[in-house]
Amino acid sequence: MKRYLPLILVAYFIGCLLLILVLARQWQDTGQAPEQPIAFSHPIHAGNLGLECTYCHQTVARSPQATVPPVSLCMECHKNAAIDRPEVQKLRGFWERQEPIHWQRVYQLPWHAVFNHKRHIKAGVDCSFCHGELKAQARVRQVRSLMMGWCVSCHRSRNAPTDCWTCHK
Amino acid sequence: MQRREFLKLMGIVSGGAVLSSCGEDPHKKLISHVVPREGEVPGMAALYPSTCTECGAGCGIWVRVRERNPFKLEGMPGHPINDGALCIRGQASLSRLLHPDRITAPRRRTNTGDYQDVSWEQAMADVEQALSESGGRQVYLAGRTTGSLAALIDEFCRTRSFDRAPEVERFNHEAIRFAGDALFGRKSVPQYHLAEADVLVSLGADLLETFVSPVNFARQFAAALEKEQRWYHLEPHFSLTGNRASRRLVIRPDSEPYLLAWLLRAVPARRDLPAAVAAAVPAVTAEAAARQTGLPVTVIEELRDALRASSNPLLLAGGVALAGNNGRLTAVLAALLQWSLDMVGRTVDYERHENYETVGGAADFAGLVDALSDKQIGVLLISRLYHLDHVPSLRDALCGARFRVGLTDFMYPPYDGCDVILPLSHSLESWDDVEPRHGVISLIKPVFRPLHDTLSEGDILLQMMNNGLNYRTYLARRWGTIGRELLDQGWVIRDTEETTPTLQAGAPPPVITIQEPPADKTLVVVPSLRTFDGRSRVLTLLHEIPDPIATITYGNWVTLSVADADTLGITDGQELDIRTSGAGLRLPVKTHPQLAAGRVMVHTDQLDGLALPRDASSGEPLGILPIDSWQATGTRIDVPILSGSFTGAVGRGILPHDKPHHGPAHGGDDHATEHPPATLYPPKEYSRYRWALAIDLDRCIGCSACVAACYIENNVAIVGPDEHRIGREMAWLRIEPHLSRDGRMFFIPVMCQHCENAPCEAVCPVYATYHGSEGLNQQVYNRCVGTRYCANNCPYKVRRFNWFDHEWPSPLNLMLNPDVSVRPKGVMEKCTFCIQRIRQGKDHAKDQGRQVKDGEFTTACAQSCPTGAITFGNLLDRSSRIYALAQSPRAYRLLEGIGTEPAVYYLSKKRENA
Amino acid sequence: MSSLKGTFDQLERDVLAAMAKPKKSFWLALAVSSLMFAVGMGCWGWQIYKGLGVAGITNPVGWGVYITDFVFWVGIAHSGTLISAVLFLFRAKFRNSFNRTAEAMTIFAVMTAGLFPLIHLGRCWLFYWLFPYPNQRLLWVNFRSPLVWDVFAVSTYFTVSLIFWYVGMVPDLAIVRRYTTGVKQWIFRIFSLGWRGTRYQWEHYGKLYMFLAALATPLVISVHSVVSWDFAMSVVPGWHTTIFAPYFVAGAIFSGTAMVITLVVPMRRIFNLETYITVSHFESLAKILLFTSMIVTYSYIVEYVLAFYSGHEFEIAHFLYRSFGDYKYLYWLMLLCNSLLPLTIFVKKLRRNLTYLFILSLFVNVGMWLERFVIIVSSLAKDYDPYAWGTYTPTLIEAGITLGSFGMFFTFFLLFTKYLPVLSITEIKEISE
Repeated sequence: MKRYLPLILVAYFIGCLLLILVLARQWQDTGQAPEQPIAFSHPIHAGNLGLECTYCHQTVARSPQATVPPVSLCMECHKNAAIDRPEVQKLRGFWERQEPIHWQRVYQLPWHAVFNHKRHIKAGVDCSFCHGELKAQARVRQVRSLMMGWCVSCHRSRNAPTDCWTCHK
Repeated sequence: MQRREFLKLMGIVSGGAVLSSCGEDPHKKLISHVVPREGEVPGMAALYPSTCTECGAGCGIWVRVRERNPFKLEGMPGHPINDGALCIRGQASLSRLLHPDRITAPRRRTNTGDYQDVSWEQAMADVEQALSESGGRQVYLAGRTTGSLAALIDEFCRTRSFDRAPEVERFNHEAIRFAGDALFGRKSVPQYHLAEADVLVSLGADLLETFVSPVNFARQFAAALEKEQRWYHLEPHFSLTGNRASRRLVIRPDSEPYLLAWLLRAVPARRDLPAAVAAAVPAVTAEAAARQTGLPVTVIEELRDALRASSNPLLLAGGVALAGNNGRLTAVLAALLQWSLDMVGRTVDYERHENYETVGGAADFAGLVDALSDKQIGVLLISRLYHLDHVPSLRDALCGARFRVGLTDFMYPPYDGCDVILPLSHSLESWDDVEPRHGVISLIKPVFRPLHDTLSEGDILLQMMNNGLNYRTYLARRWGTIGRELLDQGWVIRDTEETTPTLQAGAPPPVITIQEPPADKTLVVVPSLRTFDGRSRVLTLLHEIPDPIATITYGNWVTLSVADADTLGITDGQELDIRTSGAGLRLPVKTHPQLAAGRVMVHTDQLDGLALPRDASSGEPLGILPIDSWQATGTRIDVPILSGSFTGAVGRGILPHDKPHHGPAHGGDDHATEHPPATLYPPKEYSRYRWALAIDLDRCIGCSACVAACYIENNVAIVGPDEHRIGREMAWLRIEPHLSRDGRMFFIPVMCQHCENAPCEAVCPVYATYHGSEGLNQQVYNRCVGTRYCANNCPYKVRRFNWFDHEWPSPLNLMLNPDVSVRPKGVMEKCTFCIQRIRQGKDHAKDQGRQVKDGEFTTACAQSCPTGAITFGNLLDRSSRIYALAQSPRAYRLLEGIGTEPAVYYLSKKRENA
Repeated sequence: MSSLKGTFDQLERDVLAAMAKPKKSFWLALAVSSLMFAVGMGCWGWQIYKGLGVAGITNPVGWGVYITDFVFWVGIAHSGTLISAVLFLFRAKFRNSFNRTAEAMTIFAVMTAGLFPLIHLGRCWLFYWLFPYPNQRLLWVNFRSPLVWDVFAVSTYFTVSLIFWYVGMVPDLAIVRRYTTGVKQWIFRIFSLGWRGTRYQWEHYGKLYMFLAALATPLVISVHSVVSWDFAMSVVPGWHTTIFAPYFVAGAIFSGTAMVITLVVPMRRIFNLETYITVSHFESLAKILLFTSMIVTYSYIVEYVLAFYSGHEFEIAHFLYRSFGDYKYLYWLMLLCNSLLPLTIFVKKLRRNLTYLFILSLFVNVGMWLERFVIIVSSLAKDYDPYAWGTYTPTLIEAGITLGSFGMFFTFFLLFTKYLPVLSITEIKEISE
């Protein structure tokens, strides 16, 4: 018993470490790229076609909430463009049925936080700062932790308000 | 063991596992529009114009809508009726739209007496079948209807051969209309221009609570304050209106004719009364008037002198003053005085009268009652009735109709036994208009499509008229040229063809003898501020907010004077048995220090089925009843009375001019006060904004509209009577009635004072509450662990703890303000000065690169206040209203001696003879 | 320390006899206290599930039975440390016969007390936010808050007391090790840390013991002062007074001494330790009881005098309420138990009568619990604004959790009596030389 004790201890330690790492990874939740109802490709639209973010996401600079573009905006191009692609056909299906698309939300803040998108855009924060380079993301995934400390440290460095009620509602 | 071995073992303890959050799907949905709505910005509220329909006053409202859900009603500034304010019932009416107990689909009564949901086609087919088979008369019986719907009902009745019965309204102001008809040939309720009068004498009418158009009167009262109007209010009981008047005179119930008769002779007439009329007025001496009314001779002479010296007086009688046996006579004498002192056409306006023409008095239903009892009615269609207890003959005769169709949103008592129920859409789901006053048309515009399978009354009638129109088109056609203005502005004022009436020569008042007022104890039946005539009882929020006079939330009660309670040996909560006119009433008691002895107040909707005796001439139910006997039953009923005491605040630094304060309470700090508070801390510095609130106690009437507005704006939970009994109400803002040393009743709204030296901030262990850079005491809900030390340390006790998780049963959850958290259990909450509005206001101003302007936005409570008693603003803005108010010599702050340095200033004028 | 029956061996055997195979009555007592503990835990679980609303606390009385229990248990803990540490520094030899029990009582009382700040939290699963640890939120705790001081005070107290108790116990564990076999011996071997009783070890032991005693001594004053500042640092009338720190410390020692008597009188009889714990020991304890009772009475008088002398209307109103308001029966009962009954200790015959002392100590425990209850509840029930007045009625959940706290304490204590030496064998030997 006595002889094996150090071995047992070491094994236990390593086990605990692994457990922590695994759980921590799951807990952090960054990096998850959920499957979307339509496999919209940012590399094609933002990358190859060179569309500006605000071409589609039109309300980000005038609304506290960022939104996905309405189906009608997609149809402006896809009335005729790439109609042979299966994903575009899915899109056209939504339009024909006049059905809104239920996208899986990637960037989600908890109930107690209020985030004013418009203010951040007007302050000159680039989209990629929080959302990463969308041109390189086949599927949109969360690239920042969105944890409070991350927000606060940026606010502190840019002299943005750090009053609790700026963000807590 | 060796030390080494020991250390190895200690390592075992150090392994720890991190528990991940329980496996909730972290990804919620983000739903796109199909086609975006024009002009709508996501995340910003859209404003829809409409009109409140909770009572018939017709106040214009803006409906705040987010993501297609209305979450707040606000008064429409500039509207001719309410000019931006909204009363307690108006605020709560949003919950009527989303009430879980609303009727959601048409219903058909089965043979067993139960109701079964059916489709509209089926229901309408049943109605048509009944109409074709009816073989009798067809009658349309509705509540008070104005505007286009009234015109449509007329058309419908013509087309489908319905007789239109007089409209049913509990508060039908029959006596006023009788007097108007008898003297001026105008059977209408005139519009009263309170604000223009320099002397106002009101008898009985609860102008600021339920009388005709309370928000409008409150607004006028506020305007009149600037002009130093002398307002005499005479009442036998105690009301918020009487409390607010410059002089409240307690008069013996039903004795008003003596005073009015004397005044008619004592005050020199400015317009002649015909000799026959003047002679018919009973001759009453000053002493007799004083003796009968219970007022001192000096007081009635003061009234006479005030009227005599006035340039533009207004005298009116209504409500309780017309509820006794002398009701009609009082109304007639008041109308004569109005004529005599040249008020008709000036402060008493028959041209733009209130629309009550089609409302029937009790006597007007006699024909219908007979027809029903004789089974002459084949189909009876009833719409928007709430109760018929005031016309019991009609109530009991309803079942005489062979087939009854009921149009309603809730199963009110008159609908029991209806064969088909057609559910009505709420005004927020319909197109319509109302004309509460002649010439004032107010728009009703829907916020969304009906939540349930309901239709508006207009659409139902048009369907039955088979003309293929929908009500929207009908309205557009009827509006014609005014339609554009109506849709843009929300209201329109149209010219009227009516003229000022003259006294009909040779029209002697039909009733000339003054009946003896009740000698001893009387039961006074008064309207309820919270439920009007009882129609708003279905709204739970109105029960959650205490009645400001009795401070009781849920339940029924009677109000008794302190002297009578002593005589009876009864205390608050104990049951009193009252016998009057052969019938009885048993209710728990609540004492009130301002109620005179010998009067017992009970609300119209709390009579618990007590059949009221009728006035001999009009048939209206009497509201002044002599009490034959009363006694305590000994039972104790656990009524949820707001804790506290009317008199307990004396000497505590809560009432104005009650304690010596250390110098005037100045805000803004541009000059030193006489005795600045001693402190070791450096003064706080504010750079751009310093938010503060000022509450004018001389304007606050205690109507609690602010409380209702706060509840709805901030998702404050309704906890119910059981929790109320132990004091767990969640109200962020409460109205505290206090009796001062000199006998004045103050209604003090108390909310978080946002103290500069807040006792709550120092003691929170986790920094969930702290002082913001703009003077607000900020509570961070997510950080709160619930130690409740902050609530203990708050001397104002304005912090509310969430003892349980609260539910908003569907569809009430649609009413939740998305900009305000819904707090989970274990978290402390309190007034935030509507931080969500401050945030939005600053955001908007920043978009335009400027500071917030004074009055650009305000808190929910300030916005709703009918008298404008609450002012919110930035103290650093020297031109703002709040700054001026904070510098006023009338200003003080609550409990200043503790040194909390609150940001809420209360204003009250010191009385000279106090 | 006079008549010692026989040799040191006899002493050891007597003490260790208590750790022999337990009788049925022990199991019964343990079962009862464990059941009480389980009931308490069940009630707490229900409270977490439903919310704090299942308790009777409300507006304005936001603190009730839980905080009363907290202060009560922390108070009890102090007496143990007084006996162990302070009396040690004063070289009061009479302490040696019951200091182990007293110190054990301290440990278990602090553990029990430490649960209550968690129990009374609205969101107790976030209790760790009360500790200042570096976090991603870049947030610290509010060091100005007395509740954070509590966190430091109670955790320090627990840590120091535990170490002190354990260190003092090491030689005794070595003694027990000698008398046990098998698994039990293995455990005692580990926990006695290889104690051999060499001179080197004794020297270090003595020094460490003294340092720890010196460390624990100021804690007796400071910890309960900090706990009292939970109240004194507020603006609530009846709480906001500077006398609270010494008043509470005296009260703590008072209630703790009473609890020592409550525990040791029966324990002495059950384990036949009459030789080692004599009536004179109890007389000394009784004198401490009387002395602290008089300090507490003095504090009561001072509170009232200052309130009326100050002319502060809220303080005056409060004290009138306390004596004649909704909780007046509790108040007068408290005065009876705390101020009047202990005066009987002046009578020598009474203070040498163990049964009488035992009954008196029960009254004192009740009285001191009531004192905290009356202070907390009556101050909150009626303070500044009349519309914020209200009363408080505890519910069954709170009663259940209080019962559970006693269950927890007695469970631990019973286990202690069975598995650890109840007397400090080493120290008794010391003074008998």
